[in-house]
Amino acid sequence: MASKKKLSLVAVAGAAALFASAAVPAASQAATTKTIAFVMGAINDPFFNAMKAGAVAEAKAKGVKLVWQGDVQYSPATQIPVVDQVLATKPDGLVLIPTDPVALQPSVAKAKAAGITVVNVDTHVNDLTDVVSFITGDNADGGAKAADALATAMRYTNGKKYQVVVGLTSATATTNVARLEGFTKAVAAKYPGIQIVDKAYSQSDSAIANTNVNNWLTKYPNLRGIFAIDGTNASGAAAAIQAKGLIGKVALVGYDAYPANVKLIQKKVFSALIAQDPAAEAKQAIDTLVDFWAGKTSTIVKNVVIPNVVLSGTTSKADLKAFTYVA
Amino acid sequence: MDKAKFNAKGLLRNQQVILLVVLFAMAAFFTSQNSIFLTNAVFGNIISDWVPLVLIAIGETFVIISGGIDLSVGSAVGLSGIIAAFSMRYFTAHNMTDNLSLTLGLLISIGIGAVVGLVNGFLITKANMVPFVSTLVTLGAARGLCIVLTAGGPIADGPSNAIDLSVPKVGPFSYPGVAVLGLVIILGLFMHKARFGRYTFAIGSNAFAARSAGINVNRHLVKIYALSGALAGIAGMYFYLRLGVGSPTSGQSGELNAIAAVVIGGASLSGGVGKLLGTALGSLILVTVTSGLIIIGVAANWNQVVVAILIAAAVFSQGIRTLGKKNK
Repeated sequence: MASKKKLSLVAVAGAAALFASAAVPAASQAATTKTIAFVMGAINDPFFNAMKAGAVAEAKAKGVKLVWQGDVQYSPATQIPVVDQVLATKPDGLVLIPTDPVALQPSVAKAKAAGITVVNVDTHVNDLTDVVSFITGDNADGGAKAADALATAMRYTNGKKYQVVVGLTSATATTNVARLEGFTKAVAAKYPGIQIVDKAYSQSDSAIANTNVNNWLTKYPNLRGIFAIDGTNASGAAAAIQAKGLIGKVALVGYDAYPANVKLIQKKVFSALIAQDPAAEAKQAIDTLVDFWAGKTSTIVKNVVIPNVVLSGTTSKADLKAFTYVA
Repeated sequence: MDKAKFNAKGLLRNQQVILLVVLFAMAAFFTSQNSIFLTNAVFGNIISDWVPLVLIAIGETFVIISGGIDLSVGSAVGLSGIIAAFSMRYFTAHNMTDNLSLTLGLLISIGIGAVVGLVNGFLITKANMVPFVSTLVTLGAARGLCIVLTAGGPIADGPSNAIDLSVPKVGPFSYPGVAVLGLVIILGLFMHKARFGRYTFAIGSNAFAARSAGINVNRHLVKIYALSGALAGIAGMYFYLRLGVGSPTSGQSGELNAIAAVVIGGASLSGGVGKLLGTALGSLILVTVTSGLIIIGVAANWNQVVVAILIAAAVFSQGIRTLGKKNK
């Protein structure tokens, strides 16, 4: 033990001598390698894994150091301590996905006071004064695109009636609310023949989503379409359609490009999947910080909306692959 | 002692009659609101929810009769289904036939469930942790592993005929559903006609007396928790068949539904009292409420309220009858 200690002391001394000889370039390099801490929502979500892949690639491309952090739960109670810990390491920039718009506001102020540049991704704190840029996917737009995709898949013609249902995860999750609103508005504006006859909540459990859709398919023999508002609902609905032999008879539009569900597009179980582009959100966040530090503030946009992508049977294989979330 | 036993028996017989009445009344009500309820398609939906619930609820019944509690069954369902899904993905990629792959998947799923149960058993008997805490530990560990292993997404690319097996073929029952029904009957005999069940009741009534009577209490408890885990494993595989993928959230909150089914079925959380038929009917009532409310178009969030009322009513009616007997 003691000898090891001595050895490492010698090594450190040697390294110090080495650095001393090249002190000037080493110091300047340390000053330019910026560290970006990325604190995301929940590590259990393929959406955030896809985001991480985008962040890692862009950090490498721009020559910045990336620190990826998050908790198992999507909750401010567990996220705030993580942010505190990250701030203690004094990164140059913080990309934060606030799990609550109010609870995370003080963390942003704290970062700003410590001279750390803050960007919000996906969700944002209420007061964006201290935030350089807010980058998000557009959930309302995703809902509207789902309505279009569903109408196309049902071969919508004016004057006819189409019964559809919507499978949700919760009545309050902001993403669910925005997507449903976008969907409902688009239906009202463009497809008066579409009636939303039922809604139910799956609590993020595909089996519950499956039970809901099984019962809907029984209850509404003339059901023409299903909008499954997220990945777990999409899985449950897809299983129900397959089990009841209704592939092609009931149009199914899902959300989120889980690998398993993207494969079901090819089997025609899904008419379409609305995919977000989390990798692009992460890339944009890192680019924004790098531009900010380089003084290119004129190129920075305060609110950036990354559009959704519709994946369907006509999407090219390359695009399907590019937009599939990383498992 | 004799008197207590007699009372308990009479009371439980009543409980099951009451459950049947409740079940028929619910069916009649749902049918009056929407006649489509009284069709094989709806019964098929109900049975496909009943199969996984009754499996974990029966395991829970053994545990509760023994005086314990198993909070880990829902997580064991998830973990066993995930590991089976990964295994079957591997088998399928290596050109194994679908049926062989599914059979191995089932065995693996049962094995993983049993391991979770064994861990519970050892934590309880060797580490002297109370069942509530030890199964709380495995609840968290198993669910956490589900998420870590899958990164939150479903695990696909297994046998292509999985979903077909979940389709009702014998009335409202799928083939695996028929097998589970058979298993329920066997487990009923196991509980009420065999030594395994007698030991379970004896331990739950009075563990000290059971030990004096020569029962190896610790070994029996380990077996009970392993059985509960193994049944959760079968449920995990059943969810795989239903979804065609291994989903990390399968079985989420399953422990609460299982405990609700057991309590509605008439078992006492203080141990020593319970009947498997009660649990089977209790499970059936719970899943009937779920489908029924969707069919008659009541907002889904009312489900929890209705279940809460059923639990309260079940326990309250037991209390009234127990009091009545005591006052005699």
